[in-house]
Amino acid sequence: MVNAPVGGALHQYRIPSISYIALAVALALPMQAQAAGTRAGSTISNTATASYDAGGGTQTVDSNRVDLRVDELLDVTVDSSDPADVATTPGATAQLLTFSVTNNGNGVESFGLTTIANGGGDDYDPTVTQIYIDNGDGVFDANTDTLYTPGANDPTLNPDQSVTIFVLSTTPAGVGDGNRGTVSLVAAAKTGTGAPGTSFPGQGEGGGDAVVGSTGADGQDQGAFVVSAATVSLVKSAVVVDPFGGSEPVPGATITYTITATVAGSGSVNGLAITDNIPADTSYVAGSITLGATALTDGVDADAGDYNGTRVNVALGTVAGGQTRTVTFKTRID
Amino acid sequence: MEINMRLFFLALAAAVVPGQALAANQVALDNNVFVERVSTDATGKQRVLLEEPKVVVPGDKLVFVLNYRNASAQPADKFVITNPMPSAVSFADAGDTRPLVSVDGGKTWGLLPQMTVRQADGQTRAAQPADVTHIRWAFQQPIPAGGTGKLMFRGVVK
Repeated sequence: MVNAPVGGALHQYRIPSISYIALAVALALPMQAQAAGTRAGSTISNTATASYDAGGGTQTVDSNRVDLRVDELLDVTVDSSDPADVATTPGATAQLLTFSVTNNGNGVESFGLTTIANGGGDDYDPTVTQIYIDNGDGVFDANTDTLYTPGANDPTLNPDQSVTIFVLSTTPAGVGDGNRGTVSLVAAAKTGTGAPGTSFPGQGEGGGDAVVGSTGADGQDQGAFVVSAATVSLVKSAVVVDPFGGSEPVPGATITYTITATVAGSGSVNGLAITDNIPADTSYVAGSITLGATALTDGVDADAGDYNGTRVNVALGTVAGGQTRTVTFKTRID
Repeated sequence: MEINMRLFFLALAAAVVPGQALAANQVALDNNVFVERVSTDATGKQRVLLEEPKVVVPGDKLVFVLNYRNASAQPADKFVITNPMPSAVSFADAGDTRPLVSVDGGKTWGLLPQMTVRQADGQTRAAQPADVTHIRWAFQQPIPAGGTGKLMFRGVVK
């Protein structure tokens, strides 16, 4: 063997066998993750040219041309777009999970969408009610996004194109605070799915075959809800002070009622109000309502409390879990 | 006349069949492309097979093999083989065949480690295999009469 100078190849160079090439290829090429890649239906042509001088001046010769048709690769990925579990409450409707579906293949392809809500590994199964296809702004709006109907408006994506999908669910009423429920969105190539390498003759873009890629031509990802619930417990107590300095419930004695509302759980309660009817044979002591350390007036006004002649009402509004509210008022025994 | 016509048709046939046309040029250059397929047998052992594909998909690994033969009675001097990379194929390597490469569409040539690419920001960087646009083997010695040889390079379908 004579070493050729830079750039030269010895014409004696021989490749021992095809299997040698194969081994070298396996070692030399890491798996390359191509995105969409060369468009399906296009042709790869290769021709080499040789030039030489056999004594009569430079001559050139072309090799034969090898044409390879690029088939359609079917690949799709689904990704949950929610960075964390989405908070929900028992019985809530139209609870939103957001996904992104991407055509990783090299041809135009339509994808059927389905959901899996009973996949296990969670505490409850959300009830999927609708799937919407985003209009491109990435924000769910039932008026401008398209309600998905399987088979009727399956999203069709160009190579490398993505579409945002919104999945709406109802949270069952019986779920408890901290419960988790998952929903997976599944996108499957309409041409077909299967083991990587599965071929669908003649069904590829450009008239070639469609070949299932590494994703199996279907993809899925999971989004999750976490229930944020709160429970309210009320404790009512009464203290009697009679006119004689004792604590006998005699006419003229004053009863101070204390109602404590305790909210527990990771969520909060909205519109919490404490209402208590004035007992028979007693009279409400005007201006006696307090909320915590604050006195409230009897009229319906800016403060939270009022007395309407038959009952005391204190509107507490939204109270987060872990907090308590204490309301007191007084009556006098007739 | 009839015989002449037949000869004419034979010549025509020769012109459209690449191999024979090349023989008429004294030096023949034959181009084959294989795709590497990995199959796993029952024992889980992977076998690498080279197949002659009609169709490929992105990510397929291709092996281009060029066979040359000097069919003339004279040595072929200044023998140069040039293969432009198909636009949909990314060059990977050329085994031990040490080709010259071009990363600028065939304007300048050199060994890959010596080549640089000017980026959009004006900076230059070392050329990568994927930058290769053309491959060339320039033989330093004549191919003797009857001499044959084989060259190869690999690429990946983009």
